[in-house]
Amino acid sequence: MTTHPVAAGGDPHRLLAQVRHLARRVRVAQRVTWLPLLVLAAVTFAAVPAHRYGWQVTCVPVADGELCHGRNLVLIVYWQVATAVAYVAIAYGYLRSARARGLGGRVMPYVVTGIALNVLVQVVALLIANEGWGMPEGLERADGLAMFLTRLIDWGPAIGVALLVLAWLERHLALLLFTAGYLAVLLVPVNFGWGTHWGGNWQFLPPLVIQGVVLLLGGLGFALAQRPWQHR
Amino acid sequence: MSDPLDEPETTATHPANGLDDVVHQRVRLGILTIAHEARRVEFGFLRTQLALTAGNLSQHLGVLESAGLIEVEKGYAGRRARTWITLTRAGQAALAEEIARLKQLIVRVETADGR
Repeated sequence: MTTHPVAAGGDPHRLLAQVRHLARRVRVAQRVTWLPLLVLAAVTFAAVPAHRYGWQVTCVPVADGELCHGRNLVLIVYWQVATAVAYVAIAYGYLRSARARGLGGRVMPYVVTGIALNVLVQVVALLIANEGWGMPEGLERADGLAMFLTRLIDWGPAIGVALLVLAWLERHLALLLFTAGYLAVLLVPVNFGWGTHWGGNWQFLPPLVIQGVVLLLGGLGFALAQRPWQHR
Repeated sequence: MSDPLDEPETTATHPANGLDDVVHQRVRLGILTIAHEARRVEFGFLRTQLALTAGNLSQHLGVLESAGLIEVEKGYAGRRARTWITLTRAGQAALAEEIARLKQLIVRVETADGR
């Protein structure tokens, strides 16, 4: 016998309220929001050596000296492989966690979006590295817009856009707000002058560390809120 | 000139007449809702969320399975027996139809109250 009195039919308001309540409980039970944030923070921090030591500079003699051209294919390969592995790990973790709670997962659109955006960024990065494609002319005149565009077509914002998809899938307002803040930090062209006088090609470090720290703090915050250790 | 809303409602137009007795029931609507959101749900999760006994939940699952609205898959996780429930296409359609009918009913009731 049932432990609840179950009436056939019922008030439409109450039935719809029940539908919304149950749907929300399922979505909350499926959330493992801390996992992608922590994994992608780790990927971001691990990118430091590729950013610093991956540059290859080729110089050709010209009339009044040398013309040098630098490109970092190690960086492109690193992000391609690392993010693909990260998204597969995130999908595995999500589905495993959901299965342990007796549920299926709704993470695949997020994973597919993340990998697809990453491939898109790689293609654009390769076109820019090899062909100078897409760089606006008169960079000094359109400085703000150019900075915005070069920041937009990057691995950090790609992570953020994919997180927007996850927030939508999970109907997760807190993740949406976090992602909006994360994208604002990455895309708003504010230059504090950090790293400009560091030398040794370390200028890349401040934005990369900021990106990693934001993801790390977000991951820890969601872990504290969702308390994954209580579901074990 | 007569107002069409003042005319007696015919059985063909009232949304309550389109309600499916299999779906229009609190527990079975709850099962379909959870299975829809979860993609796939385990028996134990349903039992906890709907606060039912195993026997009662099994009866409701039997009704839904007979109607072709869910698929029931039995398996093992280690040594532990597990039963997974998945919504069929007919189940998705029936759930969407039920929710649409409920919304229509609410609108109709609120419109009637407002007059």
